[in-house]
Amino acid sequence: MTENREVALVGGATTKFGVRAATWPELCQEAGAAIFQAIPKLSAGDVDSLFLGAAEPERFAFQSHVAPLAAEQLGITPHRIIQRTELACASGQSAIRSAYAAIASGLSDVAIAVGVEKMNLPSMAEANTSMACVMDRPWDGPHGATAPPFFAMVAQRHMLEYGTTEEQLAAVSEKNHRFANTNPTSQFFEKKFDREKLMRLPLVAPPLRLGDCSSMTDGAAAVVLTRGDWARRFTDTPVFVRGTGQYSHFHNLANAGSLTDWVGLTHAAREALGRAGITIQDVDFAEVHDCFTISEIVEYEALGLCPPGHGGRFVLDGRSDLGGDIVVNPRGGLLGCGHPLGATGVAQAVEVYQQFARTVPAARQVPDPAWALVHNLSGSANVHSVMVYQGAA
Amino acid sequence: MTDTVPPRPKPVARAAPAPPAASPPPPVDQRLPFLLDFYPLQDAKQTRLSPFFDALKKGRLTTTRCPSGHVTWPPRVVCPQCHSEALLWVDLPGRGRIYAFSAVLAGAPLGFESELPFVVGLVDLEGTGIRLFGRIVGTPWTECRVGQSVEVETYELEDGRAFYRFRTTGR
Repeated sequence: MTENREVALVGGATTKFGVRAATWPELCQEAGAAIFQAIPKLSAGDVDSLFLGAAEPERFAFQSHVAPLAAEQLGITPHRIIQRTELACASGQSAIRSAYAAIASGLSDVAIAVGVEKMNLPSMAEANTSMACVMDRPWDGPHGATAPPFFAMVAQRHMLEYGTTEEQLAAVSEKNHRFANTNPTSQFFEKKFDREKLMRLPLVAPPLRLGDCSSMTDGAAAVVLTRGDWARRFTDTPVFVRGTGQYSHFHNLANAGSLTDWVGLTHAAREALGRAGITIQDVDFAEVHDCFTISEIVEYEALGLCPPGHGGRFVLDGRSDLGGDIVVNPRGGLLGCGHPLGATGVAQAVEVYQQFARTVPAARQVPDPAWALVHNLSGSANVHSVMVYQGAA
Repeated sequence: MTDTVPPRPKPVARAAPAPPAASPPPPVDQRLPFLLDFYPLQDAKQTRLSPFFDALKKGRLTTTRCPSGHVTWPPRVVCPQCHSEALLWVDLPGRGRIYAFSAVLAGAPLGFESELPFVVGLVDLEGTGIRLFGRIVGTPWTECRVGQSVEVETYELEDGRAFYRFRTTGR
């Protein structure tokens, strides 16, 4: 069996996330400008491959065949592999995983992974229809299913089975919004939320309130991965991909099984951590998929950070905050940064690079990080995607 | 002097403006895609599962079972467990209990906006291992509860299409 090559993350950048007066191609151009500014030693001619994470450009931007469109916006001419990756909310990490696989196998030496989503349209109902199409459209869609009522049912069952409280949900949102206040590219950079204010916001899908839900967001992000032995041509602080795992559990809502035990995440994390040769206790910080506050609580449990049912207490006791057992979502999470579907998974990796490079503001810098875990979920927790990164020694 | 392209916002740009409060009407004159189908797709010209929709019109909720006894939801043309193609239609129980529910108070897709607020939930069908997702009618969301009894109800749309939902029958 051939040994896989080492793969490094050598830089990353995101556009401003938010309700943007910018189209899909314009966001893509902004990501191109940002990534080449972030990696001054990288030139367009160095990039041999493009992996584009884009969830629903056909619905949100009425555009197919987006990979070559993106290459043109970015000003690159990929000549080894060019493709789009689609895995709904995890399209971004799928792009990174595909770039990793291409480089590890020797098919690519320098690849760019870009995530782009334009979600805010003049008609919110049209945008919500796009979100409903992530579900099993002919079977779940006709009942009016979108993400909020599904995750609301997860919250309801978690409260019923374990006594999880609205205050514990709000503690997730408060932490992630506080981190987002240190991140100028986040959607809610300037918005302050305390726990009491969050618990007074209007209900969207009970028991979930507005502050429990990530937003419809426009944004793009980009990272560059290279073969490990080339990494220092581009950066002094390379970060190495050490593990990856995914698990596809179900799609139709009828087949979800337990709403509160996300076994798919447990399996995906075990695979990724096992490949890295570490355990979750070795991880210094994690970017996890807090599409809703309850998601982050269930994820602590599925990752093995605390026993089943203890996720609410874990966050309320500050154990997922700076100074706790592990820092979760220092970027500000999906709750604080917004959730442009295809861009989210790439933006999570941008934070990983910047944390190891010590270029984030002190208010969210994880002290002396060695290992990071990234979790990107898709749909109604249908698929869990996990990657494990190690900073340079 | 040449006009320049508006610059991209600096990282410290002001907070993004809120989206418009009310959605404008659909861009063209069209039937709202209730059931999220822009065209009817339930008949035998469109789907091998048309007997499912024919049964709904007769008030029966059915699904498929393979010769080995695997009952699946949604109905299939190939059994996902043994890949048999010799599937039979079977009736599903007409009663069940709510396993979990929520209400959609905002953020409805096209064609559902006039129905806000509405209740959706997962229902355990009596005497089976099958749990179905669907709309729940008959009780306001503030009074629904986990464990509540419901019955299956079929209904027909103005254009002749059929679908199913749950109606609460007790507390």
